[in-house]
Amino acid sequence: MSRTGSAWRSQVAIAGYALSPIERHSSRSLGDLAVETGLAAILDAGLRKEDIDGFTTGSHLPSAGGHALVDGLSIVSSNWISERLGIRPRWLSGFQGHGQLPGSVMLAVNALAAGAADYVLLHRALANPAARYHENPMTLASGGSQWTAPNGMWGPVAQIALPYNEYMQRYAATREEMATVVVELRKNAARIPWAYWHDRPITIEDYLNARIIADPISILDCDIPIEGVGAFVLTRAHRARDLPNKPVYLSGFGQGTPSAVGSTRHWTLDEIMESAQVTCDQLWASSGLNVSDVDLPQLYDGFSPFIYFWLEALGYCPIGEAHEFVQGGAIATGGPAPVASGGGALGNGRLHGIPQLLECYLQLSQRAGERQIANANVGLACHSSPHYGGVVLCTADQI
Amino acid sequence: MQDNPASDFGDAEGHAHMDNVGRPLPVPDQSSEGFWAAASDHVLAIQHCGHCDNAAHPPVIVCSACLSPDSEFDFRPISGTGRMRTWTVIQDPFLPGFRAEVPYIIADVEFDDVPDVRMVARLTIDGEAPLVIGAPTETTFEDVASGIALPRFRLLRG
Repeated sequence: MSRTGSAWRSQVAIAGYALSPIERHSSRSLGDLAVETGLAAILDAGLRKEDIDGFTTGSHLPSAGGHALVDGLSIVSSNWISERLGIRPRWLSGFQGHGQLPGSVMLAVNALAAGAADYVLLHRALANPAARYHENPMTLASGGSQWTAPNGMWGPVAQIALPYNEYMQRYAATREEMATVVVELRKNAARIPWAYWHDRPITIEDYLNARIIADPISILDCDIPIEGVGAFVLTRAHRARDLPNKPVYLSGFGQGTPSAVGSTRHWTLDEIMESAQVTCDQLWASSGLNVSDVDLPQLYDGFSPFIYFWLEALGYCPIGEAHEFVQGGAIATGGPAPVASGGGALGNGRLHGIPQLLECYLQLSQRAGERQIANANVGLACHSSPHYGGVVLCTADQI
Repeated sequence: MQDNPASDFGDAEGHAHMDNVGRPLPVPDQSSEGFWAAASDHVLAIQHCGHCDNAAHPPVIVCSACLSPDSEFDFRPISGTGRMRTWTVIQDPFLPGFRAEVPYIIADVEFDDVPDVRMVARLTIDGEAPLVIGAPTETTFEDVASGIALPRFRLLRG
């Protein structure tokens, strides 16, 4: 493989993981789930609690009812979990912005590569508020929302519906074509015992008949809000090799940084694809690889159109052609771009990037059981849209 | 607020939504007060940089074209005619005060006078004008409270 790439490439690895039960609403507090899942990940990595000296997470969202977030109930910060584990860490951080999972992975990679910590617990805890997700009873709209909310535009669904409609109109894409993507994700998730939609695949007719929220986005184009926690333990490569599980190396990273102005209304399709290209250029430059090296692209699908944006930005097909590319088995397991083998967000539930990183980890560490894919060496764990989210490239071997 | 039988008010598990909440009003701030002051007179005025004349919407704090740290802006009236870049039809809004209004259209319009500037607002359609990308629009205003008016777009026949 290539000799170029960043200095930190393959210097840090995932050594273990844990995942809580995924439920629509848990009977337990999010804090309880996070502590239990964090401890389970530490044990899975073959470590003791006392070994952990670094923490990171991203705690963006949930949003509902305009309520303030409460640490331990609606979010779980790095500070909160480290205190409840009784650990005073050497290094503690939290990722701000979108693409929280790749972002927090890279904070940990940098801290570990620099020696600021030796064993980092990275977790992501997602609550599902009792009120409807994203609903807001605001009577005054200030800041960025003054430009949208007085018109009845609020939350990410309309923000995504606008560029997705632009895509559909410009490239003559259809909802029937998107049905292929969503049905494939749900089919794969149906095989995964912990997925929210385990054993519940859908048909093309189910998709086409789904309730529209903001045309052309229907409820089946959106991941379902759930409660759950995922946790990973990261350490430097030479330490990971002394631990029980086969290490999975972190070998590339890209992060979108679009114009801030777009966030107050929405980004146009052109703005999305321009910024997405920068994200993917960073990914290939830092890893020294290219799209033909990738066996396991786990694209993010919290809203289904992100699959098209990622496919085009990564170079699986020219811009404007993803809606055609996904037909005919291209994204099925065994096809050239098995984007959804891990069931994605649409199949697992709103876990914000955990399903994508987990599928890369399980497959590349040979821990995927009866779902194990043979000869997979390079995976992509994407989160959010490629223009403002991020992607981590994972490898079975050091490169 | 009247229930609208055409919309589904519950989520997948039947949670009741909050009721009797109005539609939010814009709160002008230091960078936007010129826009809302003009809007209350039914004038669409867009922020321009006093140094390089660059137009921006939403208003910026530092000009994104000349990056002058000595910011100087004024709000200049524009004609309000433009072309629709994209739109979405809202069927199930996340702001409870809009539930009685569904379906309604949010349009993104690029203005003829300031081609790099675009804005989102409600779109009204008179008669048979088709929803297509590039369709011509004009700007009107809706008075929503004392001294507060919101821009709206109206689709023109192409």
